[in-house]
Amino acid sequence: MLRRIFGIFLDIKPTFPHILSSAFTSDLFRPFSPTIPVKPLCTTIAKHLLLLAGVIFLSPLFSTPEAQAIPAFARKYDVNCTVCHARVPRLNRTGERFLENGYQLPGTEDGDTIKKSRLGDLTLDDVTNYLGFRMRGNILQTTDYARHASGTNIDGNPEDRTELGFPEVFSLLTAGTITNNVGFFAEVESNLEEGETGVERAFVTFNNIGQHDWAHLRIGKFDPSAYSSYATLRQQFELVGDDSVDNGSFMLPTINRIGLTPAAFASKFSGLFDRSGTAIVPTAPSLFHAVAEMGLDIHGRPFGDWFLYQVGILNGANEPFGDSNNPKDWYVMTRFDLAQSNYFSANFSGFAYFGSNNAKVSTMADVNWSRYGFAANVRYDLVDVYAAFVVDQVTDLPASLKNSFDSTATGLTVEANVLATDRILFGIRFDHLHAGGLRTQRTNTTLLALIAKYYLRSNIAVFLRDDINLRQAQGGHAPERNFRNAFFVGADVAF
Amino acid sequence: MLLKGIFAMPFLWAPMWHFKRPRRLTAFALSVGMVVGFTFGLTPLCGAESPTDVSDSVARGKRLYEHACLLCHGNTGQGDGPDAFYLGAYSAPRPRDFTGGEFKFRSTPSGELPTDDDLYKTISRGIPGYMPSFRGLSEAARWDIVRYVKHFSPLYQEADRTPIALAPGPLPATTESVNRGREVYDLLDCAKCHGPQAMQPGGLYDQGELRDRRELNVLPPDLSHPSSFKNGHQPSDIAQSILTGLDGSPMASFREALTPHPEDIWHLVNYLLSLSQSP
Repeated sequence: MLRRIFGIFLDIKPTFPHILSSAFTSDLFRPFSPTIPVKPLCTTIAKHLLLLAGVIFLSPLFSTPEAQAIPAFARKYDVNCTVCHARVPRLNRTGERFLENGYQLPGTEDGDTIKKSRLGDLTLDDVTNYLGFRMRGNILQTTDYARHASGTNIDGNPEDRTELGFPEVFSLLTAGTITNNVGFFAEVESNLEEGETGVERAFVTFNNIGQHDWAHLRIGKFDPSAYSSYATLRQQFELVGDDSVDNGSFMLPTINRIGLTPAAFASKFSGLFDRSGTAIVPTAPSLFHAVAEMGLDIHGRPFGDWFLYQVGILNGANEPFGDSNNPKDWYVMTRFDLAQSNYFSANFSGFAYFGSNNAKVSTMADVNWSRYGFAANVRYDLVDVYAAFVVDQVTDLPASLKNSFDSTATGLTVEANVLATDRILFGIRFDHLHAGGLRTQRTNTTLLALIAKYYLRSNIAVFLRDDINLRQAQGGHAPERNFRNAFFVGADVAF
Repeated sequence: MLLKGIFAMPFLWAPMWHFKRPRRLTAFALSVGMVVGFTFGLTPLCGAESPTDVSDSVARGKRLYEHACLLCHGNTGQGDGPDAFYLGAYSAPRPRDFTGGEFKFRSTPSGELPTDDDLYKTISRGIPGYMPSFRGLSEAARWDIVRYVKHFSPLYQEADRTPIALAPGPLPATTESVNRGREVYDLLDCAKCHGPQAMQPGGLYDQGELRDRRELNVLPPDLSHPSSFKNGHQPSDIAQSILTGLDGSPMASFREALTPHPEDIWHLVNYLLSLSQSP
């Protein structure tokens, strides 16, 4: 276990320090196998950085003269997006407190006050103050792979591809307060690329139970990590799903391209299945970091702003309405907030998530899949740095898999954003996944992602993003190795 | 009713009895917590009566400030909270520094501190675009915050704060009044900042000369939108802003310039309000 936890640092040594020290000039990124023609990493990065810079300098041509956006959720309070967002979609501290307080201003219980009108005994709401719309996705997507003969049927046979597209993810959101201390949120999402439409998240909140900020209750389908130092959603790097083919119940999927998600949040294991037998891809966000799970949780700051607690229970990994499993998963999270002036703030949080029969392995046996970790976030001026280190563990493995299944995995994600001007944001993310699961399949992954966003208005952004596989030079057939680079040009619009 | 609803939710309670013993205990603790919480009820934060003791009021104001105001204005009141830079990183406004004694929205002459009523009004009404209204707090709670905000500046101990007197008004918005208001707009050189039609920034902005105390660029608002009037868009609010100026910003006080013809302030107000009523 300890070796696994600290192995992450040993494991990345062969590759990562090269970037820090001799960087782009050396031949250290030369592939292990001379038969695999891999472009030098420096060329790839330089090419895309040049492109990023070009588009950023041209983008003012398409901009409006002043960013004075007041989109749907800001409309209720007559304020700009930047009151709650560092830059959309990432929340600032006020936005985090607004979320914690059930869509009421921090320190208040104004759910029955702002933009509510009375008609006799009736409280009337203006629906436009509750509706939001978000459209995001890629206008151009280029993916490069190292060429190789296909390994096994689960490694996929990817091809270099450049695709033009249109922002393919549409979300209709409604959120607000029904009355004092009763809030709600619902998001219907349509993903054209994945061909799925449905309720992404939906929950109600009962806030300020007992005393102000003592306890807030959430019931429904929600993102458990919303209040931690590094939450799954509202990141500058959108989650990019994997490109894979499901091969049937309790069969490993064919993965053409791995998902581009924070390693700390990922499933991390090869050979895990949800209770219906569908394979859980190692890069899919899960457990405490799931995009949405069904359950209830309570959080609060009973001792002041410096400390937040959260406890909750969930159906478990990928369980929809109607749980197939009697035991529940439960979790606890604490967060400590420090320093609140001089344009500086910091916080760190730790959590433990205890799974109970929440996944299966290839023998169809139930296993317990748990997660522990910590995260931190530091902001100073316009620099925003956040990181998470997470350990996943599978217990109650059947005897037949004891020697062939690595039961521990770790993930490290470090991200930094800086607002270079009022309109331009740069971001960088480092991910290292020390994978677990079937020893014949598990493959460690180390990725670096760069992003540049240009905000035409505070609610409309175009972005350029590049995800680079730092382990491409190691070669091999696994999807974690054949992926070399992905480049995206996209847009993110919220109204 | 709410309690009944919670207890009636079988999906909440039934599965807990299938937990193993330690988890059953945890689930039970969670349940007790919920029940206790609901028994207390959803109590309002600020139901306190009007304070009789100022020091108690300041103490309550401090607690409220730390919840509601600190994230922008900082725990020392210098406008340097963790979110302040994101609000006004490269251009104004950045959150107010309470320690310098310089406030934009006042009924007092330029250079003086605002009255308690002014502070209360700003907290209650908010500033369109930048600061939300805190009407969700009780009146007593808002007064507690006023008292706490005042403690940031020692000037409040000694300063005499008297609102300026407005000329009788407002006047009816007749065509003559609006036309006279347009003349006053030109006479006072308002176009230098607000542009000839009061809808586009004027020459001083183009020359980069409109800066606030922090040397941040100030964009003069398009006055054809009611929400552009940060101190409120009622005639008396607009008149007050013109006469007192917005300290700390390039918007100067025009009180002296309007002294010879005090009624001109209402003509100017009628002209400005006519811009947002034009088809």
